[in-house]
Amino acid sequence: MNTEIKNIKKDYLIIGNSAAGISAAESIRKNDKKASIAILTMEKYPNYSKPLITYYLAGKLDLDRINFKDRDFYKKNNIELCLEKKAVMLNPQERFVLTGDGSKYFYKKLLIACGAKPAIPPIKVRDENESVSSLDREIGKIRGAFTLTTLEDAVEIKKYINDYSIKSASILGGGLIGLKAAEAFLELGININVIELSEMLLSASFDKTASGIIEDRIKQAGSNIITGQTIEEIIINNGAVLGLKLTNGNKIKCSLLIVAAGVLPDDAIFKDTAIKTDKGIIVNEKMQTSIPDIYAAGDAVKSYDILSGQPKNLAIWPAAVRQGSVAGMNMSGRPAIYKGGFLMNSVEILGVPVISLGLSNAEINASPAEIKVYIVHDALKKIYRKILVRNDRIIGVILLGAIERAGIYYGLIYNSIDISELKDKVAREDFGIIQLPADYRKHLVVGEGIEV
Amino acid sequence: MKRIFIDEKYCIGCRLCEIYCQVKHSKSKKILKAFREGQPDILSRVLVEEIGHDSFAIQCRHCDDAPCVSACISGAMTKNEKTGVVVCDQEKCVGCWSCIMVCPYGVIKRDISSGKAASKCDLCVDEEVPVCVKNCPNEALKIVQFPDEEK
Amino acid sequence: MALELNQSEFTVERDLDKCIACEVCVRQCSNDVHEFDADDKTVLSESSKCVGCHRCEELCPTGAITIKKKAAEFKENSNWQAAHIKNIYKQAESGGVILTGMGSDKPHTVYWDHILFNAAQVTNPSIDPLREPMEIKTFICGKPENLKIEKQNGQFKLKSKMGPYLELLTPILFSAMSYGSISLNACKSLAAAAAEYGTFYNTGEGGMHKDLARYAKNTIVQVASGRFGVDRDYLRNSAAVEIKIGQGAKPGIGGHLPGEKVTEDISGTRMIPQGSDAISPAPHHDIYSIEDLAQLIDALKEATDYEKPVGVKVSAVHNIAPIASGIVRAGADYIAIDGFRGGTGAAPQSIRDNVGIPVELALAAVDTRLRQEGIRHRAAIIVAGSIRSSSDVVKAIALGADAVYIATAALIALGCHLCQKCYTGKCNWGIATQDPYLTKRLNPEIGTRRLHSLLRAWSLEIKEMLGGAGINAIESLRGNREHLRGINLNDRELSILGIKHAGEAW
Ligand SMILES: Cc1cc2nc3c(=O)[nH]c(=O)nc-3n(C[C@H](O)[C@H](O)[C@H](O)COP(=O)(O)OP(=O)(O)OC[C@H]3O[C@@H](n4cnc5c(N)ncnc54)[C@H](O)[C@@H]3O)c2cc1C
Ligand code: SF4
Ligand code: SF4
Ligand code: SF4
Repeated sequence: MNTEIKNIKKDYLIIGNSAAGISAAESIRKNDKKASIAILTMEKYPNYSKPLITYYLAGKLDLDRINFKDRDFYKKNNIELCLEKKAVMLNPQERFVLTGDGSKYFYKKLLIACGAKPAIPPIKVRDENESVSSLDREIGKIRGAFTLTTLEDAVEIKKYINDYSIKSASILGGGLIGLKAAEAFLELGININVIELSEMLLSASFDKTASGIIEDRIKQAGSNIITGQTIEEIIINNGAVLGLKLTNGNKIKCSLLIVAAGVLPDDAIFKDTAIKTDKGIIVNEKMQTSIPDIYAAGDAVKSYDILSGQPKNLAIWPAAVRQGSVAGMNMSGRPAIYKGGFLMNSVEILGVPVISLGLSNAEINASPAEIKVYIVHDALKKIYRKILVRNDRIIGVILLGAIERAGIYYGLIYNSIDISELKDKVAREDFGIIQLPADYRKHLVVGEGIEV
Repeated sequence: MKRIFIDEKYCIGCRLCEIYCQVKHSKSKKILKAFREGQPDILSRVLVEEIGHDSFAIQCRHCDDAPCVSACISGAMTKNEKTGVVVCDQEKCVGCWSCIMVCPYGVIKRDISSGKAASKCDLCVDEEVPVCVKNCPNEALKIVQFPDEEK
Repeated sequence: MALELNQSEFTVERDLDKCIACEVCVRQCSNDVHEFDADDKTVLSESSKCVGCHRCEELCPTGAITIKKKAAEFKENSNWQAAHIKNIYKQAESGGVILTGMGSDKPHTVYWDHILFNAAQVTNPSIDPLREPMEIKTFICGKPENLKIEKQNGQFKLKSKMGPYLELLTPILFSAMSYGSISLNACKSLAAAAAEYGTFYNTGEGGMHKDLARYAKNTIVQVASGRFGVDRDYLRNSAAVEIKIGQGAKPGIGGHLPGEKVTEDISGTRMIPQGSDAISPAPHHDIYSIEDLAQLIDALKEATDYEKPVGVKVSAVHNIAPIASGIVRAGADYIAIDGFRGGTGAAPQSIRDNVGIPVELALAAVDTRLRQEGIRHRAAIIVAGSIRSSSDVVKAIALGADAVYIATAALIALGCHLCQKCYTGKCNWGIATQDPYLTKRLNPEIGTRRLHSLLRAWSLEIKEMLGGAGINAIESLRGNREHLRGINLNDRELSILGIKHAGEAW
């Protein structure tokens, strides 16, 4: 490592080379053609799309195609990309970021877009030959046990599968990343056990029916879903995974374990600063943190959920891109506002596409008077559509099978459109723009229908 | 910047726009061949909605601040700064349907027959007038030129 | 149910090699001829319901459909023609009057086709209208006996007082078609095209829809026996007022718009309750003589402050010449003569095909009579009733007309295929219908453009013909029958038309 470089001065410094960071850099460059911009990343890959790592794992993409911006993006926009530069400390008083190699990056404006890190639940590990298990072993250090949030992770898992001719795998966590990993393994013909603590898959956004349909599909394909359970103990041998003991006492063999128990905002470097955090950096609608000239965006922040009206960590790609671009605009002197967002997901398991939007299972904890549910379920055609309505506004959607036109609901949720006239139609398969209130439709279709 | 203007009042629901869009995006580009020998599954990128005597055809609005572009996880969906056209690079697209999830007009389709990629209006970039506009018998679709705000 | 003896008139031929089952025809036919068969994924057609409007044929993207007249329907019989047999079958079932639409299609002589126009050679030069001025501007009004001109400060000034007039940039006007008989989009197309080109359209007897008020400067408003939509504003919101006595397609017959067609919009325009039958009585119940007509003309002039010409429209009947004379004497500024072949939205077939006389003969008779009486200048003559081309216009003017009204020609420009089913209200071209699904099919922007083009094309052709004859202003052609020659006409016809036979020199 080059220890010569000590003090580097930049107009704009961005920590994080992903959705939020890059889209911020792009919008800064649009407004400010001259300023110096640098992006720090602790990883060794130029830019890649996180959501694509499971596609890489599945063999649908190779490393050449995993970038979401062209390779010459940095050059074209005159942005300095600093690979393998891990930010280890932030000094807001003197306005610099210290990196692992001892360099100081001074900034005029700083964006923190360092994303999230995998959450790892406390699991005991026991060597096959020992009788006591311990909590101290780092799961990442066990051979055959992985988290899956970076390209590096995916590259290593792939290598491991090839090296050891892996035929089955266990996934801890039936959330988004767990399901994406499941999708990849099934594609590769690897049998899986998905171990999920709650009663269903993707409990944050599915419901029993949707989850049931997907579970059936996975089971039909010869794999296994274990709900209501978690791993009590990982059994290892010679530093490699051998098996798992579940909370109900059952034991399963395991040669590859993916720990996909969610992500947490990464707050290591600003822990000792005055930046306000609460399970994520607190930002305002301009994406400003509590310290002037320091902005934050993406998975690292707690932004605003328009459906609950509460600050929320919206760890999804589209939100990171939007927030990044709003932050970039404000940093470079063009006022912009992030109105907020809501959670949404699109997954496809074994050819069954599912899209969920907003508070898609909020009816479970609400009275029928408060939240009305409209459902169309056609088991034969493998179609399930559920629309949740509160105060005549759509707040949640699950579409399984026929997902086309899902975005119309996104628009209705985002713009909080009164759908009281449409209740009998809203879940139907032929629901379209034409049923929408004339004003909204006019705005969409005629004339000014050009901006959203 | 070209945009398609939809005049709901005069759409007669004939769906010729859909038919010619299918032909345009077929291999042979010949109507009989496209429907006959080859791909009965070619998707029309324009979509006619109809209830009673109300109808209109809708295709991608090529939004200025396009939600599909920011939602795209692969970088396949991009907006051409010069032409304003939002296009999906079928080679890059991985078929995650994030774009379908957010397009408020619901005009992106899943093209499963030819690989697995998002299919949407490309404004017939190689034609002077998009084929849906050209073949609409009642001028319910029109092409309008927009001043480029960026400049 | 007993067997229906009505045979189908058309055969729908579908070339299965070309049909891609796109269902455009299915969606376009308001007569439910075509149907998609989901089992076979093919489209089937039931020819018996086809009215021959050709909408499907025109819209089919692969040209797979051909509509053909059904051949050899009955054993040949010069007396009992197919039309008679079919009508009897129909009436034996329905017990009712046979209705039809558009003008008569019977093979009576079309005199336009027996008249030839002249051209200049050697003794007088022809004129190239593209290089030299050519005036076809036309005025519709009564003219003074003689013109008094005085000299003021070395300048000549017109001293005679001129009455109100219509100024047309081409001698063609759109004839009366009411909102109700045709769709609002058709009315809009006519009104906008007239305004754009510098001529006039006619509201017909249905009143003026509020959307058309902005075309007032190019509107002739009609006052008919039902007085629909007539009030002070209606009369004043116009360029001229026309009293409708009769219509060429149905002389002596009133009109009847069934209550179910009196929609909210039409009821507002006609000023009658929604859903009530709109009945135009056969006669005006306040006109039983020329004197009564004179009173109405006076009343209308009074109501419009003597600022607008008032005309009278009559159908061409046997007595047309003296009737026209009376109308002029009653004070009309113009007289519109609607001939035997004039169009209609609905008329009993027996009347349409058997009552009245061709407009060519009526025009010649009227012009001759008014000249003989020395009153031709007091009123302009507009003729209507199947003006099909610019040459028809030129011949009409040479026969003595000031201008022509076109209705069927205008509808054809809008897409009409003359299927003659206007009265069913199912016009597939969105013209003679009020069904919102069908009226959408006529985009008035396109309609306006097409009508405008038609006026332009005809005007150019009129100028060409004038130039060829060495005439540089349409005024010089008016009533100049020396420019016309008859062909295949007998002496009687020639003498009524007041023209020589082809081959006879000046
Ligand atoms: C397997 C997987 C699948 C996913 N699928 C989807 C999906 O289908 N749809 C969807 O909407 N979302 C999906 N997500 C979530 C989505 O990827 C994130 O919301 C998005 O990547 C967040 O972007 P970001 O820019 O905020 O942070 P990240 O993408 O997490 O990027 C963080 C960046 O910061 C850098 N960094 C972090 N710490 C430091 C440091 N200390 N010093 C220097 N650099 C640092 C990293 O190297 C990286 O470049 C998925 C996530 C994963 C892991
Ligand atoms: S696909 Fe939809 S969101 Fe994307 S630009 Fe077109 S209309 Fe806008
Ligand atoms: S389906 Fe294709 S274009 Fe759409 S978001 Fe996914 S990768 Fe992008
Ligand atoms: S071609 Fe025109 S009229 Fe026909 S469905 Fe399409 S938009 Fe409507």
